[in-house]
Amino acid sequence: MSVAAVSGCLGDLLALPRPGGWTALRQVAEARVERLGLPTTKQEDWKYLDLSALTEQAFRPAPTVEVDIRERILPEARGGRLVFVNGHPDPHHSCVSGLPAGVRLMPLSHASEAASALGTVLDATAMDAFAALNTARFTDGAFVFVPRGVKVESPLHLLFITQEADGPALALPRLLIVLERGAELELIEEHVGEGTYLSAPVVEVKLGENAQLRHERVQRQSEEAFHIGSLAADLARDSRYLSRTISFGGRISRETPRATLATGTELALDGLALLDGRQIADTHSTILHAAPHAQSRQLHKAIVDGSARAIFNGRILVAPFATGTDAQQQSRNLLLSDHARVDTKPQLEIENDDVKCAHGAAIGQLDADELFYLQSRGMDLPSAKNLLTYGFASDLIGRIPVASLRRSLRQQVLARTHAALGELA
Amino acid sequence: MLNIKNLSASVGDKAVLKGINLEVGTGEIHAIMGPNGSGKSTLGKVLAGHPAYEVTEGSVSYLGQDLLAMEPDARARLGLFLGFQHPIEVPGVSNAQFLRLAYNKQAEAQGRDELDPLEFDDFIKERIKVVAMKEEYLDRGLNEGFSGGERKRNEILQMAVLDPKLAILDELDSGLDVDALRIVGDAVNTMRRPDRAILLVTHYQRLLDHIPADKVHILSGGRIVASGGPELALRVEKEGYDWLASQVGA
Repeated sequence: MSVAAVSGCLGDLLALPRPGGWTALRQVAEARVERLGLPTTKQEDWKYLDLSALTEQAFRPAPTVEVDIRERILPEARGGRLVFVNGHPDPHHSCVSGLPAGVRLMPLSHASEAASALGTVLDATAMDAFAALNTARFTDGAFVFVPRGVKVESPLHLLFITQEADGPALALPRLLIVLERGAELELIEEHVGEGTYLSAPVVEVKLGENAQLRHERVQRQSEEAFHIGSLAADLARDSRYLSRTISFGGRISRETPRATLATGTELALDGLALLDGRQIADTHSTILHAAPHAQSRQLHKAIVDGSARAIFNGRILVAPFATGTDAQQQSRNLLLSDHARVDTKPQLEIENDDVKCAHGAAIGQLDADELFYLQSRGMDLPSAKNLLTYGFASDLIGRIPVASLRRSLRQQVLARTHAALGELA
Repeated sequence: MLNIKNLSASVGDKAVLKGINLEVGTGEIHAIMGPNGSGKSTLGKVLAGHPAYEVTEGSVSYLGQDLLAMEPDARARLGLFLGFQHPIEVPGVSNAQFLRLAYNKQAEAQGRDELDPLEFDDFIKERIKVVAMKEEYLDRGLNEGFSGGERKRNEILQMAVLDPKLAILDELDSGLDVDALRIVGDAVNTMRRPDRAILLVTHYQRLLDHIPADKVHILSGGRIVASGGPELALRVEKEGYDWLASQVGA
């Protein structure tokens, strides 16, 4: 990969006109894109993710198009649904009439309150090139706000649809989620699409004291898509952030979540990647125990078939004064073919003695005793393998509290694993 | 129904079974007893076809067919059932889903109608009464978070669903308290039939108080060292297994 081609790809995108608003923030981000350029495999954080395929495409912003979201509707999300098509709000398919008083679910372009908070959670100096590009050139996004003490009963649904229009499309979804003290919310963030495109979402989560956010993140991008996302979460004292990312789609996908934990906070940062063909999925997470007595749990699972590749790099940083830290991290990987590959690297950096930290990584095939158990119940070996593979994925999906989403994800896993369970009830 | 001749098997380099001879007729209940490490659990696994064990000698005929030539799943579809000492868990697959899948595999092989989820729901709610298990256990992941006793009940529920011709129950009583043992024992007794044979693999005689066996065999050092009626199990209870060692020098 030549340096000229590298700067060409992001450079072309940076040449797009600067959208209105957040001028100072965008200027900082522009400088960062120029300085960083497109990451290369020579950089430690990107060494397994070859992005040269990105330079072969000329991604451009795309107009809104007519979409059919009937299959995507989650009946449980009575509170509200906000839909974006190629980065543009789609009022026709959105519905925010069920929101409790004071709760906001709206395009950023309409939310004047969002102006000051945006960019404060994901620090400009911590952005990778794609997060910086998003910051420099996003045109719109979603603002989710729950005021002090309000517990939103029904989940909210954010749906980002990207579709190749006249050529490869570019989408830079931006999300700002703010929960004030004691607020509670369950949010579903879903990314889908068709054709070739680059989606580089940035999510900022700001939780007030004692707030709780359940955040289900679903990435079902097209097979040709590039999805490179960043998330930053800032947890104030005693708040809880429970996040789960299910990644099925994308030719190349990457998630970079980063959470900063205050005293007494609780974090769950789970992930599941289901990969086949030549897919590559990369998760680079950072959990910062910045204060005493916070708890973090991370379970990352990958099922890798074909010539696909899964990458997991999980950093847990425990600050010197973060005594009483309780951190557990597990990376579990199922390799289903000889050509599939997994690179997993848990990284604990602990700077004090009063901590309880455990981490583990397992890469393997299906367990012989488990297969025998199923065979002894009359299942042939391929069926037994399919069922165990299904179970490996379904286990994590089963913890999603939204039944319709659970069912649709499991149905997708069934189709991919060929487990003979028929239509799920 | 089952005819084992001079069966020897090893795991890795270690010979575990050293020439087992055993004949089990239709309608009979046999108990295989023996001290730890005698090879009694291995016998069940070898009969069910566990891939970790290599048969080095001998033959097994089951319903007139060469059992050892068959894959584990083919054995199961021919009505052989192994109740595991340590059943594994599959968290992402519900107990009900698993049971229906297993039932339908069996039904398909035996030319019976498969059941859809609704039909199976009726069927399983009837069968579950046999082991006095709460219905909520059907919706949980297969054996997920089940106690040892719950897993054993679930094994017997599977037996009730699959309706086998030959059931090999490995250490059914381990991990069961007195009440659970009675429930599971009663369940097995209700499944006693003239066209079904049961092989109980157990360390303790107490299981045979609940499920009376027609014949008792003592396994030691990979061989059957004594065979007899229920009185043999009572002697083991009273005297332990040590007296056998002197008989065979094992």
